[in-house]
Amino acid sequence: MEEIAYSVHPAIVTLVGALLGAGYFAFLRWQTQAGGLNISLGVGALAGVIGATLLTAPLGYCMFQADQKSEDIIIGWIAVLLGLMLTLNLFSMLLWRYFRGQRLLPRGDTTPGAFRGRFGLLYAMTVLSPTILVLVFFVYLPMVDTLRFSTFLARFGAPRTRFICVSNFSRMLADLDYHSNLFLSFALSFGIIIIAMSLALLIASMLNQPIVGANIYRTLLIWPYAISPLVAGVIFSLLLGTESGIVNRVLDLTLGVKVPWLVTVPAAQISVVLASVWNVIGFNILFYTAGLQTIPKDLLESASIDGAGAWQRFARITFPLLSPFTFFLIVTNTIYAFFDTFSLIFVLTRGGPTESTFTAMYRVYVTGILSSDIGKSTAQSLILFLIVVGITIFQFRVGQRRVQYGNY
Amino acid sequence: MFRRFVVILFVLTLALGTMVPALAQDVIELEAWVAFSDHRYDWAVDTADRFNALHDDINVTMLSVANYDTIVNNYTLGREDGAYPEIVQLFDAALQFAVDSNWFDFAEDIIAGRDEILGHPVDFDDIIPVISNYYTVDGVWASVAWNTSTPIMYYNVELLEQAGVMEMPRTWADILDACAALQPLVDDGTISACATWPFSPWFIEQWLAQQNEYMVNNENGRAGRATEFNLDTDAYRAIAEFYRELYSNGYFIYEGFDQWGPPTQSFTSGKVAIMMSSSAAARAISEGATATGFTLKTTGMAYNQDAPDGWVGNILGGATMYISNGLAPEVQDAAMAFLLFFSNTENSASWHTASGYVPVRNSSIELLKNLEPGNELLWDIPSGARVDIETNDWYAAFPNFLTASTQLGTSTVNNATRGSTYGTFQQSRPYYGGVVEEYMLNGGDLDAMIAETNAELTELLQEYNFLFADE
Repeated sequence: MEEIAYSVHPAIVTLVGALLGAGYFAFLRWQTQAGGLNISLGVGALAGVIGATLLTAPLGYCMFQADQKSEDIIIGWIAVLLGLMLTLNLFSMLLWRYFRGQRLLPRGDTTPGAFRGRFGLLYAMTVLSPTILVLVFFVYLPMVDTLRFSTFLARFGAPRTRFICVSNFSRMLADLDYHSNLFLSFALSFGIIIIAMSLALLIASMLNQPIVGANIYRTLLIWPYAISPLVAGVIFSLLLGTESGIVNRVLDLTLGVKVPWLVTVPAAQISVVLASVWNVIGFNILFYTAGLQTIPKDLLESASIDGAGAWQRFARITFPLLSPFTFFLIVTNTIYAFFDTFSLIFVLTRGGPTESTFTAMYRVYVTGILSSDIGKSTAQSLILFLIVVGITIFQFRVGQRRVQYGNY
Repeated sequence: MFRRFVVILFVLTLALGTMVPALAQDVIELEAWVAFSDHRYDWAVDTADRFNALHDDINVTMLSVANYDTIVNNYTLGREDGAYPEIVQLFDAALQFAVDSNWFDFAEDIIAGRDEILGHPVDFDDIIPVISNYYTVDGVWASVAWNTSTPIMYYNVELLEQAGVMEMPRTWADILDACAALQPLVDDGTISACATWPFSPWFIEQWLAQQNEYMVNNENGRAGRATEFNLDTDAYRAIAEFYRELYSNGYFIYEGFDQWGPPTQSFTSGKVAIMMSSSAAARAISEGATATGFTLKTTGMAYNQDAPDGWVGNILGGATMYISNGLAPEVQDAAMAFLLFFSNTENSASWHTASGYVPVRNSSIELLKNLEPGNELLWDIPSGARVDIETNDWYAAFPNFLTASTQLGTSTVNNATRGSTYGTFQQSRPYYGGVVEEYMLNGGDLDAMIAETNAELTELLQEYNFLFADE
């Protein structure tokens, strides 16, 4: 068999994984002072080895072969890091349970009403199977396919595919256009989330006042969410066209100006943000309205008796008590802004002018669906997936400390 | 009692379910996917019904799919799980993919030298040459031409005459001159700007062909499989420079990449004097002009007066009908018979009046010039039915409808005007369109942009070839 030449030998990759794992676990041991050092080091090294090989070995360590570009090697190390993050977290959790004398796997719910007895598990699985089957066939298997396709050059209808290691990823690493797509996704998402949430909170607070016909307002305000982003795009393109748009018609008649909403920078970006805000705000209002109704009136009343003004009551009582809703909405709005706005962009601007509204998700759509270049687009969608998972984990870590789940 | 009733009902349903298909077995069911949903779809349904009335044993059902891209995607996915139609309408950009996928039987192979199929004559001789040449692959006629268009100019005669422009512009220089003359009307608020049209990559392809230039190597992929892009040409640069001049002088309203609705709206409402669009919009634009109350005049697509060979010709656009492979011989013949009927002299003429797509046959043009009562060729949009054209000569009454046929009919047929064919056609459009867009809006180093895009597109094309080309 021909010897494969590596620029970084798999043995070195594995060794680095083992060292990092052992080091991390030694650090944890030093921090917590729990359990034995040797067992920590051993488990850490094992976790490190598994982590380092998890994503690289299935691809035959191809990214570390001598004929690969430096970008591929970088992607290789990123894959090692991702694998390590996964296994080190998992193993440290297991080891922690072991040190505290707990079972490695949670025993399951033993409260009354849980499925117990000889056929308990079987019964539970039978009842759950429709859901599990749907998840497996429509979510997990396609995800595995996505992972697989991201390492291929592949097109719909093509008689063959070609394994290209991590080239789809390393190409993105070097592609400045893709970087600006990603940056734009963050910028637009940030704008959408900030505006959609603050405006929704304002509107929901007003809706919470005892006014005549509040139910009708509420229904009307929530209604835009029932519209798909694509239709929202159509509505806004009718509103914002330079010559034939309704908004410019009104501006022209009143102020004598026409704003090229969809064909200049930054107007096009602002238009996309505003259209998305309009689309998603109903969802936010719905949750904030529900949230506001859970806030105990006596708390607010006693605060106002104690002399707290409207702003103080809002800032000190209402907003903190709404934090579970805010947290949930930040997560869902992030997902909306990253993943769901592409169809709106497709109708409104086609990513233009000059790619100024070309978000990363829109790139996935254009590459995969319009151009049937599925290898590249699955790689792009995986990157987006990792980013959103990363943001969500970050939000959970940072947000959860400040979220107050009260027992009221 | 109730239970017995349910059981009997169940058995009856089962029996009926197995019997009905057995009874209907003699009818050949054909499904045809088309990318229209407006009155053009109504026309297609009506024509299918006319065909069905002629054949008791064939039933053609039309299915409307959102647009050209979606039809390609849906068909591709349909092939994966075996649910695809017998007949599908694929647009020009999908030609190479249609060939490479091996999913279709070519029309000429199906006909196999016969004079008629199920009573429908095969006479491809009078199809306009530039049309037949487009869909000829390696000397074989691939699909049956249906909706064929070409870009033409649309002018608001009153506005141009008000500015003292009495001759309709024919060249890029004419347009720039006319725009300079129209500027006072813009300044005093009579109109919004001189010109607007959809910023579509299709026009770039057309202008390359007009200047006798290829988009890709191997003579546009016609002399052999294309392997490289050919953007580094004077012709392509000239297009970018023309757009830049139009835009930076404020003559041109840009309404976004490949957006067709807003420019048409601006023109038909009389706010812009010059538009370029597909001939397929002729019917809609004529009616818009009549409603607004201005005189519409059309000419061939404006061309670069400085091109070394002058105007050489235009490429056709639109789509054709393909027949899926693997059909039983009688099904295949039924599908072919339908397409022969669909594109015969009368139907091709009627289709032209319904839309503005050119009649693909010379005999249809002759028919429209010598009409008789009872012709039932005009598609009446409100009622959704065919009515008589109440004139002897359609083109004398509606001269704007002849422009497109003349343009294609007088085009020199060579590998520039046959149009490019390569696998990444649709994928590449935003790239070479994007360079022109970027240069038009922001200027910059055109040569550098061309070099970068040319390399990117060549790489994509070679990847495609690696997956599809015969080894």
